This record gives sequence, structure tokens and C-alpha cells, in this order.
Amino acid sequence: VNTLADLLPGTLDLLVLKAVSLGALHGYGILLRIQQISQRLLQIEQGSLYPALYRLEHAGLIESEWGVSENNRRAKFYRLTRSGQTRLRKEMQQWTLFSEAVGHVLRALPEET
Amino acid sequence: VTFDGFKALVRSILTRKRLDDDMEAEMRFHIQEYERDLICRGLSTPEAAKRARIEFGNISLAKEQCREVKGVPMLDEFARNIRYAFRQLRRSPGFAITVILTLGLCVGVNTAVFTLINAVLLRPLPYPEPERLFDVVREMRRGSEFQASTGQDGYAWQALKNARSVQVAALGSTNGVNLGSADRAIYVQQQRVGMGYFRVLGIPLAHGREFDDAEDRSGGPPAVVLSNGIWKRIFHGDESVVGRSILLRGEPHVVVGITAEVFRPRGLVDIWTPLMPSTKGEGSGINYQLIARLNSGASPAQAQAEVQARGVTAFENRRIPPSITARMSLTPFERFNQAALRERLLIISSAAGLILLIGCVNIASLMLARGSARRREIGTRIALGGGTASLVRQLTTEALVLGMAGGAAGLALGYLATQALQAAVARYGIWQELRMDRPVLLATALVSLLVSLLFGLAPIVQAVRMGVRETLLEGGSRSVVGGRSGRLRRMLVLAEVAMSLMLLVGAGLLIRTLLNLQHLDPGFDGKNVLTATASLQDARYREGENINRLFSASLDAIKKEPGVEAAAVGLHLPYQRWLNSGAKIRGRSATVENDVGTSMNYVTPGYFEVLRIPLLAGRVIDERDRKDSMPVALVNEALAHKFLKGEDPLSGFIIDGDTTRQIVGIVGDLQQQPGLNRSGPIVTEPAMYIPAAQFSSKAFQMAHTWYSPNWVVRASGRREAIARGIERAIAGVDPLLPVAEFRSMIDERDSALGSQRLNAWLFGGLAALALSLALVGVYGVVANSVAERTREFGIRIALGGSLRRVIWEAVAPVVLLSIGGVTIGGLLAVLSVRVLKGMLYGVQPADPPTFLIAGAALIAITAVASLVPALSLARLAPADVLRQD
Repeated sequence: VNTLADLLPGTLDLLVLKAVSLGALHGYGILLRIQQISQRLLQIEQGSLYPALYRLEHAGLIESEWGVSENNRRAKFYRLTRSGQTRLRKEMQQWTLFSEAVGHVLRALPEET
Repeated sequence: VTFDGFKALVRSILTRKRLDDDMEAEMRFHIQEYERDLICRGLSTPEAAKRARIEFGNISLAKEQCREVKGVPMLDEFARNIRYAFRQLRRSPGFAITVILTLGLCVGVNTAVFTLINAVLLRPLPYPEPERLFDVVREMRRGSEFQASTGQDGYAWQALKNARSVQVAALGSTNGVNLGSADRAIYVQQQRVGMGYFRVLGIPLAHGREFDDAEDRSGGPPAVVLSNGIWKRIFHGDESVVGRSILLRGEPHVVVGITAEVFRPRGLVDIWTPLMPSTKGEGSGINYQLIARLNSGASPAQAQAEVQARGVTAFENRRIPPSITARMSLTPFERFNQAALRERLLIISSAAGLILLIGCVNIASLMLARGSARRREIGTRIALGGGTASLVRQLTTEALVLGMAGGAAGLALGYLATQALQAAVARYGIWQELRMDRPVLLATALVSLLVSLLFGLAPIVQAVRMGVRETLLEGGSRSVVGGRSGRLRRMLVLAEVAMSLMLLVGAGLLIRTLLNLQHLDPGFDGKNVLTATASLQDARYREGENINRLFSASLDAIKKEPGVEAAAVGLHLPYQRWLNSGAKIRGRSATVENDVGTSMNYVTPGYFEVLRIPLLAGRVIDERDRKDSMPVALVNEALAHKFLKGEDPLSGFIIDGDTTRQIVGIVGDLQQQPGLNRSGPIVTEPAMYIPAAQFSSKAFQMAHTWYSPNWVVRASGRREAIARGIERAIAGVDPLLPVAEFRSMIDERDSALGSQRLNAWLFGGLAALALSLALVGVYGVVANSVAERTREFGIRIALGGSLRRVIWEAVAPVVLLSIGGVTIGGLLAVLSVRVLKGMLYGVQPADPPTFLIAGAALIAITAVASLVPALSLARLAPADVLRQD
């Protein structure tokens, strides 16, 4: 299983943005959502999620609000801001481009030898 | 530090606690939720708790990383820097104390001066809608002569009292009167004001009402308004005093009102009585002032036009000769009085600003010296990879800590100075309260902050510019001839000396002015003369007979007191402003009578002997001059010279009203204070003396409305004992007549020269401050350069170098610098002291002796200041030096 540290830097930010783009979530919810949509292929070190959240909030890409969780407990919910949406769209395009390009290159190599 | 970073810093200071709580709650929620999920998946409770905690990872690390995002570490660094700064300063208390004291003095001086400027020029007047308040000013022009004044006569009042666009109120002079209370009387300050005075100023009375039309006309029922202060002091704040009758000026007056506590008149006033303005008596001369408030709905232009038009009527009724162009106008309230003050305050504030600059230079030079002493520490930090930015932040913090401490010291000093100033300036027409309000505090804080950043900059620039290698090489006591920072420090000395010279020259000129004035021949001998004054604006002293009986009885009693040599009474003393009087003079040969303006003084026999005023011709006034004897007068030399030139004055006559008086003597001139604005600060005017016995009751009443007569007593012994004797003697004759105050003739002279004394003291104080700052600055520079070069000097002495030469090398550059500074400062002073021209007497702004003495003193003092640390080289043991580090 890959931990996030093995992935490219900045990937965690992208995953968080994607996770909250589907609706407001609290920190634990974001963790579950990422595990769920990556079909548990990606493991995040749980504690490191929070500095990322604070960083994104400080950059104005997400915003937070205290609310009530599904089991009636006080929790802090994060939501994508307008500039967060723009950033997510751009990052996604770049990621797609990048991964396609890398994919092509990696697939092409054995055929040529 | 970027702006965003700064914002984050501030926010984190304010919200740090909440941030930590939030983080804690959020992460605990996460762990507990995960724990629940694990339990659902079948783990035991303790097992789940353990695993949740492990999988979450390092909680405190996560928290620390979150804080970093929020700018909290900057806060921590800031706190660390402050702690470090304090530690650094504690380690060199001499440096810290010098800087804080220097800054405190400079900031304190400027705070006090700004408090004064703020009170007089900046703060709005303490009346509602002050922009609607005006003084009525008369401007008179004849040829090139121009005179403007707020003095007005009864005709002006008559013409303006029914104005439509403004409400006008008249006010008269302020003088001392006797207020009876129980079995004794006290001397209080009375101002006479017309009805509408309080309404025009806009401060309603706290109790009762102001004077009405019936009270404010001649023969009306006697009424009085009490100030809030005297009401509390004498009547213990008893409201029922309104409507009651009190004894004032020897007769009952009904208290009609009490002023509000917030009411602050121009000048010191205890009670108000009705002015009863008219065109007769005092109203026939210029003895009133008029103040006006713009009516709602009227524009200032309308009011100006109406006042000007009504002024024309007033001047016509007064029969102003056609050769004089007169104009009546409105000027904003107090603006007229402030005109002269404004200039002086600006000069004083630039002097104070100069002090601040000198202080900055001094501190910058101290910081540089310290910077170079710490250069190895700083160099080591940079070499070990301590970032430049963090170093700059730390040095800035140190400067700020010093700046704030200095600012606090300055605030305290400024407060003390303001307290002292309040009493001193009250005598010079400054009636506003000196208060350190928000603008003053803000300005002080701003100045301290600015100054500390400014001087904090020097070592920062020095540290950053210098490479690590040089820093490490030049640091400590190993250097040879001071490096780049040495040059900068020498420039600072130059600037400091130049600025000090400017202040020194200014102070020198003003002190010489004061000395010139003090050493003018006063025309009398004031040594051992004590004076006492009492108000005779009193119902019991309306008749000349009663007054003269009081004079002779009290003088007889005073002469019996121990130590008293001679005693007399006169309406005026030398140095005072005298009663202006018009009279006609007729010489023997002249067939026409000349109208002359003179000052007039009534005196009892013995006045000239007590004051030792020389008699030049004829005789003085003596016991022979009685009410029923031939009317006589004495004139002073100035009058004889001006109006009876080429004649024998002793055969001339003075026609004073209906009385023709024979001139029987000529006495020497005295220094008086001019009644009109003339050129000199203490001048002699044509004057005549009339025997008190021959003064009419009407003339007494008029004179006593404005002035209180003076008892003059020549006596030897302790001042307090003599004063008690006089008091006792007067009380023996009239126990209800309070003696207002005792003053020596030196006191009189000092108060006549008050404005010049204040100038000399203020500037002298500032110059002394500048001089001591320069002293400290020069000492610091030399001491530092000696310390830096100790090793070099030690080696040279060890190798047989001449000690004298080494000391000379340490001192010479500074002495040369101070000569250069004196030269530059001298040139600047020649240009700048011109602003003092109007404040000088008997000395030119470019006075060579003053410049020479100031320059020589400054050079001598800097030489001594530099020699002291240099001489420490003589005690140097070369072997110890070589063994050092």
C-alpha cells in the first residue's frame, strides 16, 4: 500500500480539495472519503491531514465552520471556496495531462526496445 | 517581515488561545470517531483507543505544523527576541540607562512643548461651536502707521449691541477686589462683563442666571456671578447662596448665578460683576473688549459686512479724525491674541526638535559603538547560519524595547515639565489648560517609535552590509584604525556639535538680552523695598477723604513697625503699566495749550524718598500739598523733554480736567511698562505725579476700577517679618481690608521681564541639554575608539611608542571634528538666529562675542570630554593588553 509520503508533493492538497468539493466534511470525514474513493489504495498518515487543512484554509482555498456531525457531536466542517474550485479544476487538468503523459511514456518504453 | 506575515502575527497574538482549543477539539473528535469505527469493526474498547492513537501519529507535531501555518512561531520568536533584548540590556546597564535617559529627556522636552502647542494652537476652544465665536477687532491706519487691537469703547458697543447677524457681549478688565466672608475679607479676581457674556461664550450657568438688562446699567441693583471654584471654596457648594446677598467691594451684592464647572474663562477669574457699558466714563476710552457669536442662519460674510457697517457709525460718533482710516472687523476668537504667541511657540518647538535630533544622533552613535562591540557576536551568528532576517528582527526588537522604555521615561518627564509649565505660562496670557490628551500621547508614542526605529537602523545596516570575514576580523578590541562605522560615527559627532552650537548661540543671545534689560538703570533704588497692594474699589472708599485718611493712618502705623525706615503709597510702581491720561500743557511762553498723552500716578508724601527717585529740579510732593492748597504736579524728565523743550518746566502748568496744576518739580525717569505697544520691552513714558491729597473722588473711583494702589516700604530685616508688620499696621486701621500680596521690587522687575525671562530660561535649558548630550556623545565616541584600539595602542606603547602621541591620536580627530562642527553650526546659526530678532534687546542676532564664546565653550567641552577616556591609556599595562584574548 502506498502512503502519501511516497507520492508526489502537493498530491495531498489535491486530494483534500477533491474530497471537500463533493460537500462539506469534517477532518475525519475527509480521511474516510479519500480512502473510499481511492478504494483504499491511498493511505494518509492521519495526523498530517491537519497541517494540510490549515495550509489550504490559510491560502483561502477552503473555509471552515463549526457544526454538528452525523452523530450529533460538535465538529469542524470544511468547504471548498470559489477560488478553491478554480484551483481544483486547474490542478485536475494538469494532473490528467501529467499522468497521461507519464503513462504514455511508461507504456511506450518496452515496445521500442 | 511582510505585511501578510505581520497580519498573521497580530492575529495569532489575539487568537492564540482559541486556535489551540480549536485544534485540540478537532483532533480529539477525529480520534474518537475513528475509535468508534474500530469498535464497530469488532475491536475491544482499549484496543480501539490504542490503535486510533497510534494511527493518528504524532499529535503535537501535527499541532506544531498547524501553528506554523497560522504564524504562531513568529509570535514565539517575537517573545524570545524581547526576552533576549532585555537580557542584552541588563548585561550592559550603563548603555541602556544612557540611551533611555537621553531619549527620555528629548522626548520629554518635546512632549511638554507639544502639550503647550496643542493647548494653545491645536485644541478647539472649550466652548460649543467655537468656529462661530469671534473677537471684534479695530484696525486704525494713518499713512504707513497701522494698529490693530481688540480694545473697544462705548461707542463701538452702542453700535454693535443690536446687531442682527451676531450676538455681541462686552467685557472689561480683570482686577482684584475684596470679597467679604464672615468677619474678614479676601482678595479675589473680579472680571466685569456685560449681559450676554455667558450666552455668547455658550456655556450656561450651573445655577441661577447671568446679569439682566436692569443690572447691567449704571445705577442698577448690585449683582454678582460666582465662579464654580470660589463657590465651592468659600461657600462650600451651597446652592442656596443664589439669591442671597454677599459683601463685595464693601457693599451688599446679590448672587444671581454660579458658573458651570467646565467653564473656563480667558484668564483667572473668581467672580463676575456687571460692566455697565456706556459711552461715558471708562466707556469714553478704549477700555472694553467685544466678543461675538454668529447667529444661526447668518453667514460669516454677512456678519463681517454688518460689523464693518456698524463700525463706521461707531467711529463717526467717536469723532475719529478723517486722517485716520478705521475699520471694524471680526476675527476668529483668540486668533488675535495668539498671533504673537504662535511665532514664539514655533521657535521654541523648532529648538525642541533640534534637541530631539541631537538626541537621535547621540543614540545612533551609541548604538553604532555597541554594534561594533557586539560585532563578533553578530558575525559569529551570521557565520553559523543564523539568517540575516532573524538577526534584523532581533536588532529591531532591541531598538523597540529601548524606544518604548525611553518613550515611557519621556512621558513621565513631559508630565512633570507640563505641571511646572502650567504655572509659568499662566502669566503670559496662556489660559488654556495644559493637558496631555490623546493627540499628545499619540504624538509622543509616534516620536518614540520613529526615533527608536531610526537609531535601531544604524547597527542593522552596519551588520548586514559587512561581510562575515570583516566582521570577525574587525570585531572586539583587535582592530587598528576604526573601520567604516568609525567614519559614520565621526559624522554624527560633527552634526551633533553643529546643532548644539545653534542652540547655544540662541540661548546666549536671549540670556544677554535678559541681562541687558536687568542692568538698565531703573531710575530708582529698589533694594530693601517691599510693596503691598490692596483693592480700594470698595464702597467704603468712594470719597477721597476716606482714602487719604486710610493712607495717612496706615502709613503712620507702618512707620512705627520695627525696621521700617520710610513708607508711602502710590497708585503705581515702576515696571508696571500706568494709567493713561490726556492732559493739556501750558508753558510760560506758549499761548496755546498742547494736548499731551501721559501716564499718571498719584502719590503720598515720601514716595520719592522711599524709592530714592532723584529730584532734578524744584521740590517733591510733601505734607504742604493739601486738598485746599494750590494744585501742583511733578513731571518726569521725559515729559519735560518732550513737551516743554526749551522752556523752564517749573513755570509751566498742567491742565488736568478742570484743575490747573502748577509744575513744582522734575524727577528722574523710571522704567515703566508701555501702555501702548511700543518698541522696547521696558520703556520710559512721559509721566506726571499728583499728590494723593489733591486727587478727586471721581478720579480715585475711576483709577481704582482698574488698579489697586501700592504701599511701598523701605525697611531692613527679614522679609516675612516686615510683611507681617505691614499687614498688622493696615489691619489696625481697617480690619476688613485684605492685603493682596507682598512683592519686592525685584519681583516687580522679574514679572515685567517675565516674557524675556521665560525665553532665556527655556532656551538656556534646551541649550544646556544640548551641551550635555554633546558631551555624552563625544565621550562615548572617544571611549569607544580607545576601547577598540586598546590592543593596537598597547602594542605600540610596549614597543616604546610615545604615550603622549598615542593619546593625541585618540583625541585629535574628535577635537578637529568639533572645530568643524562649530564652523558649520556657526554658519547655520547666522542664518537661523534671525528668527529671534524680535525677541532681542541690546544685542544683534549676529553678535560676534556670543558666537565666539559659544564656539570656544563647545570646543573646550568636547576636548575635555574626549581627553577623559583617552587619559585612561596612561594607566594601560601593555603586558596585560597583549595577554588579552
